[in-house]
Amino acid sequence: MIEIDNIHVTFAQGTPVENHAMRGLSLFIPEGDFVTVIGSNGAGKSTLLNAISGEIRVDTGSIKVGNQDVTRRNTERRAGDVARVFQDPMAGTCEGLSIEENLALAIKRGDSRGLGMAVKREYRQRFKTRLKRLGLGLENRLEDRMGLLSGGQRQAVSLLMATLQPMQILLLDEHTAALDPKTAAFVLELTREIIEEQQLTALMVTHSMKQALEVGSRTLMLHEGKIAFDVEGEQRKGLEVKDLLALFEKNKGEELADDSLLLG
Amino acid sequence: MGLKAILGASALALGVSMLGLTIPAQASDKHVAITQIVEHPALDACRNGVQDGLAAAGFKVGENLKWSYESAQGNPATAAQVAKKFAGEAPDVIVAISTPSAQTVAASARHIPLVFTAVTDPLGAKLVKNLDKPGKLITGITDLSPINKHVELVQQIVPGVKRLGVIYNPGETNSVTLVSMLHTEAKAHGLTVVEAAATKSGDVLAAARSLVGKADAIYIPLDNTVVSALEAVIKVAEQNDLPLISGDTDSVGRGSIAAVGFNYYDVGLQTGKMVARVLNGEKPGDIAVESVQKLELYLNPAAAERMGVKLSDELIASAKEIVK
Amino acid sequence: MSLIAFLGAIETGLLFGLVAFGVFISFRVLDFPDLTVDGSFPLGAAVSASMIVAGYDPWTSTLLAIIAGGAAGLVTALLNIKLKILHLLASILTMIALYSINLRIMGKPNVALLGDDTLLTPLEAVGLPYYWIAPLAFVLVVVVVAILLILFLKSETGLAMRATGANPRMARAQGVSTTMMILLGMAVSNAMVALAGSLFAQSQGSADVTMGVGVIVVGLASVIGGEAVMSTRTILLAVIACVVGSIFYRLAIAFALNADFIGLKAQDLNLVTAVLVALAIVMPQIKSNLKAKKRLS
Repeated sequence: MIEIDNIHVTFAQGTPVENHAMRGLSLFIPEGDFVTVIGSNGAGKSTLLNAISGEIRVDTGSIKVGNQDVTRRNTERRAGDVARVFQDPMAGTCEGLSIEENLALAIKRGDSRGLGMAVKREYRQRFKTRLKRLGLGLENRLEDRMGLLSGGQRQAVSLLMATLQPMQILLLDEHTAALDPKTAAFVLELTREIIEEQQLTALMVTHSMKQALEVGSRTLMLHEGKIAFDVEGEQRKGLEVKDLLALFEKNKGEELADDSLLLG
Repeated sequence: MGLKAILGASALALGVSMLGLTIPAQASDKHVAITQIVEHPALDACRNGVQDGLAAAGFKVGENLKWSYESAQGNPATAAQVAKKFAGEAPDVIVAISTPSAQTVAASARHIPLVFTAVTDPLGAKLVKNLDKPGKLITGITDLSPINKHVELVQQIVPGVKRLGVIYNPGETNSVTLVSMLHTEAKAHGLTVVEAAATKSGDVLAAARSLVGKADAIYIPLDNTVVSALEAVIKVAEQNDLPLISGDTDSVGRGSIAAVGFNYYDVGLQTGKMVARVLNGEKPGDIAVESVQKLELYLNPAAAERMGVKLSDELIASAKEIVK
Repeated sequence: MSLIAFLGAIETGLLFGLVAFGVFISFRVLDFPDLTVDGSFPLGAAVSASMIVAGYDPWTSTLLAIIAGGAAGLVTALLNIKLKILHLLASILTMIALYSINLRIMGKPNVALLGDDTLLTPLEAVGLPYYWIAPLAFVLVVVVVAILLILFLKSETGLAMRATGANPRMARAQGVSTTMMILLGMAVSNAMVALAGSLFAQSQGSADVTMGVGVIVVGLASVIGGEAVMSTRTILLAVIACVVGSIFYRLAIAFALNADFIGLKAQDLNLVTAVLVALAIVMPQIKSNLKAKKRLS
């Protein structure tokens, strides 16, 4: 469960390039929601994710994750509750470490780390089972370096890493955007399956309105650091891209300038 | 088989060839190996002196003397390897220039006679336990300042001197040693020492002023802090007619009256003669550690005049260098 | 090359293998270019030599030298993390500060240990020739330290440290405190270097304030050299490569010192070092070129 209350974020405050990226955004995500987020460039999608994960501190307002106020906590102290898959396949994994070492790193997400062996035998069995369902043959390559894997493979492993341990929320930051269409579809399908199986609460940023409607149970649109609209349930069913645009115009009284949202 | 195997094989071949290629010198030739910590004008002059000193004693490089020389390039780990190289070659004598080189040889080539030189404090460096009878295989030359000569020089320049002022930095170990030696020597010559401390160069002027009225002459040991601010002392000395005598010859050019010192070529010559004694069969342990014998007098008559003393013609005649 | 010179190269190589371990942690694991080493090596020597001379037993003295080295590493890490000073600059600041501190610890530029009881003294009673003692003792030390280092780097904390250097953003997202890892890693790295300095002083008979000059270059040359001559695919291999590189480096110097017949002298060492490091850097390229050719044929 996530509760965001009236957060403001300003970058480069007091300089000519000052950017008021979050302007009093409030959002409640109950357990089990799978929220997709759209918005044009600069709408605040990444800032929202970074504020939840702790990479950005909010100027005012508060953020609660699973009933705990984490507003003042840094990333590593939120990691136990917040799991994340980055857009860049390079960012979410360590290419110098082996596949099993990456997974071993993730299996301790948010836990204290001691001096015991990082890759334990019982973990290895678990890694194999999880890797097997990817259908990529990675279960036989546990000791291969991450750097040897393709972008799609790495992103699939990133997703496994993020979902190895329970969490309050899974953040997906355009995690299929850097992949070719076929791989992107595969990773997206995988995401959907895992979220459903493990009944996770998730927030997925996407650049495609179509995808935003096809996946998940609720869709947000951000605009200028605020929520432009928030649809779910019956209201969301049967919506199409053009309906979303109409909704946006109705709520904001202006036309959407960014065509990139229509693509894909 | 890949690059690694080829590399390994060639390294092995190299090693074997190196082990095999140690060419023995003619049996009758003596072998002197010399190591110094770093290339430096003073140390290089010392090394040339050693070679010339040996030649004067009949051991000529290229004729009847094998001469090996290595510099450690200022690197102590290399110095250790140089010492081991010499230990393996087993020369008749190893000459080590400077304290760290000498210590490394003493630790790494224990079965070979060692003559050290340009070592300030052989006792403190634990090279020998006794300067007069070193014992074992080690002896050499110390380049410690000849404090007794300094005190005599003060008496020659200022005949009626009773109280000798000294300015030094108590934070410099060498100075502390020198000043404690000065106390002993001064007492032996019927003088009392008046100390003035300067812990940084900014304090030197005040320290010099504190001696006015309390001392008949000022002596400056080889103290980095005070020597760096020597002009302040000179000013006070000239204003108050306090003769100023230095422990290093360079200061004479800057305006102190006199100093006795030595040059490192002469230190080397003296070392070379000592090495020759070892080559001729004397045991290093029976040879007393020597201090530098050939001292040079530097004088600055103009400075003397400004500080209210006149240098005797006899003194001027014995000077190695007169600063105009 | 004589046996003594050969053993001497092995002995020095093993000692500087410990330095290479330290450099491996800072430069390779943490990606933190650290020049503190030039100060922590003599620091280890200064602390242990001063304590031994003051009458403490060599074990306590060496232990304290290790702790002092760790503290020096912590200072560099804190300058970088808390005061936001660039890592290279932070390490240079600690390094020059250590010069004064080492002088203060010793009270003079050189503390002699000739004839004092050191860690090696009990071994001298065994009856081996003196030039065998240090190499044998150091083999033991290096093997123990290497095993501990490998186990550490494979532990949960060690893995977190490796992730910190390789991808700090990802490490934080996994709940790793990257600042803690940098503090810990820098402390461990400089502690090992100080141990090397301490052992060097004890085997060479003195601690000297100038003995840190160029230690970082030698450590780096060893790490790079090791990577060039063997595979470093796993942690085990990477750690072994540090020692192999260091010993190769010392053998090369011994070769230069003993290669009178080709005219090399000690003063050419810096050139030999430069050529060696350059070779080590291009070697991986040559290797991959060779591999590519093999694949084609």
